[in-house]
Amino acid sequence: MNNINATIIAGGMCKFGVRQASYLDMVQEAAKDCLDDLPGLTPKHIDGLLFSSTFVGRRSCQANTAPVIAERLGIKPTSICARLDVLCAGGSTGILVAKALVESGMAKVVLVVGCEKVYTPELWQIQYDEIAAIDHDWDAPAGIGPPPIWFAAIAKEHMKHYGTTREQLAAVSVINYGHGTTNPKGHFQKALTMQEVLEARDVAAPLGLYDCCPLSDGAAAVIITSEEKAKELSDRPLVYIRGGSQVSLHSVSANWPGEHLGDWAHMKLAAKKAYESTGLKPSDIDVMQVHDCFSISQIVEVEELGFCDKGEGGPFIASGETKIGGKIPTNTDGGLLSVGHPFGATGIRQGVEIMKQLQGRAALQVKGAANALTHNLSGANVEHTIVVYSKEPKK
Amino acid sequence: MTENIGIPFLEGHYSPTLDLWPIEAKEFNRIHTFYDNLKEGKYTTTKCKGCGYISYPPRVICPECYSDNLEWIELPTRGKVITFVEKSIAIPIGFGEPLIDAWIDLGKDSPVRHVFSRVINCESGGIKEGDEVQLVVFDVPGHPIEWRKEKWIAERVYFAFEPVS
Repeated sequence: MNNINATIIAGGMCKFGVRQASYLDMVQEAAKDCLDDLPGLTPKHIDGLLFSSTFVGRRSCQANTAPVIAERLGIKPTSICARLDVLCAGGSTGILVAKALVESGMAKVVLVVGCEKVYTPELWQIQYDEIAAIDHDWDAPAGIGPPPIWFAAIAKEHMKHYGTTREQLAAVSVINYGHGTTNPKGHFQKALTMQEVLEARDVAAPLGLYDCCPLSDGAAAVIITSEEKAKELSDRPLVYIRGGSQVSLHSVSANWPGEHLGDWAHMKLAAKKAYESTGLKPSDIDVMQVHDCFSISQIVEVEELGFCDKGEGGPFIASGETKIGGKIPTNTDGGLLSVGHPFGATGIRQGVEIMKQLQGRAALQVKGAANALTHNLSGANVEHTIVVYSKEPKK
Repeated sequence: MTENIGIPFLEGHYSPTLDLWPIEAKEFNRIHTFYDNLKEGKYTTTKCKGCGYISYPPRVICPECYSDNLEWIELPTRGKVITFVEKSIAIPIGFGEPLIDAWIDLGKDSPVRHVFSRVINCESGGIKEGDEVQLVVFDVPGHPIEWRKEKWIAERVYFAFEPVS
């Protein structure tokens, strides 16, 4: 039995948004921001590279991307050099895989970098490529590739079964955009009023413009290494990758695992596994980043993660429980709604914010935060990924 | 423009990476029977002759017992709308406006209880919860196939649901 514990010691991101840059440009910006985060850290310290991106093959016509990136970043990997494609959870997957590689002793210092170049020279491709993000032969021809359709159906079912209101959906956007005003690297730094959210044009009713995360280019990067190496490279408080889970129970929408669309049985199972793997429970978690791709998503997520009763996510958030000072401050950097969602980068961007929270240096700091988690769903809600971070490793 | 363009689409070539529809032809797909059945108006899937498990979508092996001894069975072609969504902006190439999708209940006796399907032949505001819908099969563009020195266009169909008038 080995006794290596993986930690996260540095992180950074490029500016998210509509970028005048290629995926390779943004990866370099994020890696620089990450290494600049820990003075003394150089590319020569890094022996492993994991790159997370889903659409790079379609949108930038590049396969086998990891060596391309290693070369541009001046890294010469000797333990791992690979790309991961888990769509919206690719970044979190990279962090979990890096943890396993470090704790196995195979890798010493792993750079996990994720990037998505969303904006293509002609804009039709942004929506069209979603045919490859869901089960192609069965769900794409039904037109449910563009995610607002699927999540609007979820919102309608959640409203029907639990009485969730349009105003409660809007509260998620108001709160997360509010948090995002403190994040200069997010896509938006704009506070929203309830009225602005409610009066915005429909994307797919009941979801309006501000209920949907924006389309954003972006990249983010973190360094995962052992506790021993972390002490050598950094004087900051240690932040452990304490555990996590990744659950996939179906792919085609017809095989949805819940009783109805507002019941996310696969996420409930992911939460149970993540808590079991870390010896923690919801009341131990001080701050979190969840996958608010749509306002309704965060409402269901606080339920399935166990922070309120099933069906109570709307009132829970509308009453301020996910703000700083609430029961569980959530998406403290703005979340997907305000920061944007370049798929392969998102889980890493969430990890950067959580690392800073547990080290006491976040822009919107949760005082004394000791345990935290990040969550992503992927595709048409077919996979759930949770990473649990802590100032203490699992005993 | 140079003589050698290097962009196949500008020279009229086909690529599966820019194809919304499945490659259905038997030369490329062992469940082509599903599409052959669709052409006859039948909505089908596979059932394991060994353990009796019914899979959707169809398979070439049973995901329960890994037998490859499967048979084709018919599914209901009518269902009821549980919930529906209309999208009227940012509709991808290949779909008209409005794009309507519905979570459809195929009935308690159906081995596949629900499908999330496109609803066509329906105007904006044309369906509501509880409405009955039925399977509709339609032609989609064929694609070229090169196979053993022969070339032809593979014709295709796909399915959606429509309001029962």
